[in-house]
Amino acid sequence: MWQVAPAGDRALLVTVGRTIDPSLLGQVLALDKALAGRPPSGLISTVPAYASLLCHYDPGVTDAARLEASILELEGHVDAAMAVGSVVDVPTQYDGPDLASVALQTNLTPAGVIEMHAGREYLVYCVGFAPGFTYCGVLPDQLSVPRLASPRLRVATGSIGIAGRQTGIYAVESPGGWNLIGRTGLRLFDPAADPPVGFKPGDRLRFIPAS
Amino acid sequence: MIEVVEAGHWTTVQDRGRPSLERFGIPPGGAADWYAAAVANRIVGNPQGAALLECTASGPTLRFDADAVVALTGGHSPGAANWQPIGIARGASLTIGTIAPGLRSYIAVRGGIDVPLVLGSRSFCQRGTFGGGFGRPLQRGDRLEVGRLGEYEPLAAPWPESHRLPARGPWEVHVIPGPQLDAFAEDALQRLTTTACRVTPAIDRMGLRLATPGLRLQPQEIVTVPMTAGAIQVTPSGGLIVLHVDHQSTGGYPVIATVISADLPLLAQARPGDTVRFRSVDQAEAVRAWRRLTGWLELDP
Repeated sequence: MWQVAPAGDRALLVTVGRTIDPSLLGQVLALDKALAGRPPSGLISTVPAYASLLCHYDPGVTDAARLEASILELEGHVDAAMAVGSVVDVPTQYDGPDLASVALQTNLTPAGVIEMHAGREYLVYCVGFAPGFTYCGVLPDQLSVPRLASPRLRVATGSIGIAGRQTGIYAVESPGGWNLIGRTGLRLFDPAADPPVGFKPGDRLRFIPAS
Repeated sequence: MIEVVEAGHWTTVQDRGRPSLERFGIPPGGAADWYAAAVANRIVGNPQGAALLECTASGPTLRFDADAVVALTGGHSPGAANWQPIGIARGASLTIGTIAPGLRSYIAVRGGIDVPLVLGSRSFCQRGTFGGGFGRPLQRGDRLEVGRLGEYEPLAAPWPESHRLPARGPWEVHVIPGPQLDAFAEDALQRLTTTACRVTPAIDRMGLRLATPGLRLQPQEIVTVPMTAGAIQVTPSGGLIVLHVDHQSTGGYPVIATVISADLPLLAQARPGDTVRFRSVDQAEAVRAWRRLTGWLELDP
């Protein structure tokens, strides 16, 4: 069941589930599309992530109760099947500073880590945290390692990290606590481009080791 | 043209930000104390969307190569009269000095600060290092163009004291419960709203870390969710991070309550060591508080 809760006095958060699951993301994206197609009065913009959708509204035009009602009318009436798009290749240099420590933690060789990380297709669950940061999932269980005990203050643009069952790409330099195993030259954030980011939730990608 | 003679501690160009780009991970940004910024533009006769300078802790020294009308609002600047139009003669300088009480002051110039629009705004975005004319805070020697956005006559009188927000703590900050209230024990919000929180030195436009002596909330883990300005995140160790205008667009710590828009300016002025008390309100009261401030902006003092 969808749950709608206020996120302050100008936004509602619709939560469709509590796990990382492609079918929940499908519901989020379907709701997002339905709202974009026929925006309820006062809706300004939306932000999708994993299993929830944030809906910003203008309290001068509508109120939380009215917007909540228009959202809940859509429950059960959206097509949650995700469009299967093409798979984007992300050229990757697997030379990250944490590759060796990830190998130790997972009882793999560095080459084994690379093979396991590059050997599958990922779904983009969210673009968030920082401009263009791309959250993908899911990693095989064996590659699941905790975040760093103390985050780095600077992670370089293009770095590819893993944490838990997720892998992600840092599109701009930022602080970060994920284990860095590689980097890509793909430019994922460009303020002059439209859209300014390379990926959106629902996209599929795979990491291609540079030879 | 305005020449930056001294930059101050952290002076940036800000306007109303980029409110609809969070789906790309881009923070909304804009002036941290939106009310003081709006009043500064109002005083000099600019439209509300005009860009101005946001100064933090200590402000710049600026030299003007043409006659100008400026206004200083927000945290108190000792260098000149605050909350009223000031005429600056061609060739003269304006020195802001150390800001207190309050943390951030705004310098509006009639016509607006004219730097290129990036993604629809002139605001500097620290996380993405773009915007604000230089992709960084101002530095000595920078030169700023003045725009032609003066829409109305500047005000003739100082902005009434009754229509300014408090300049110093302790701060009473109103919140709406949630959105992840169900990740906490039943009495958690009640315990939070009866605790005197203390502002730590870890504060910037992204957020403020607060210390909560005697209070340790232990939330459940959640899947990453979108975040808003004002979200009070609780970390696994029980620390509080109140997100502000340059907040991360998504986050993995549950949000126990969210500061109302009308009170975000208070947190923009809070200084390390200040006391913050949260009080829970309903939607109607939050909207009334917002309407009160926007109503003030429309008054003819």
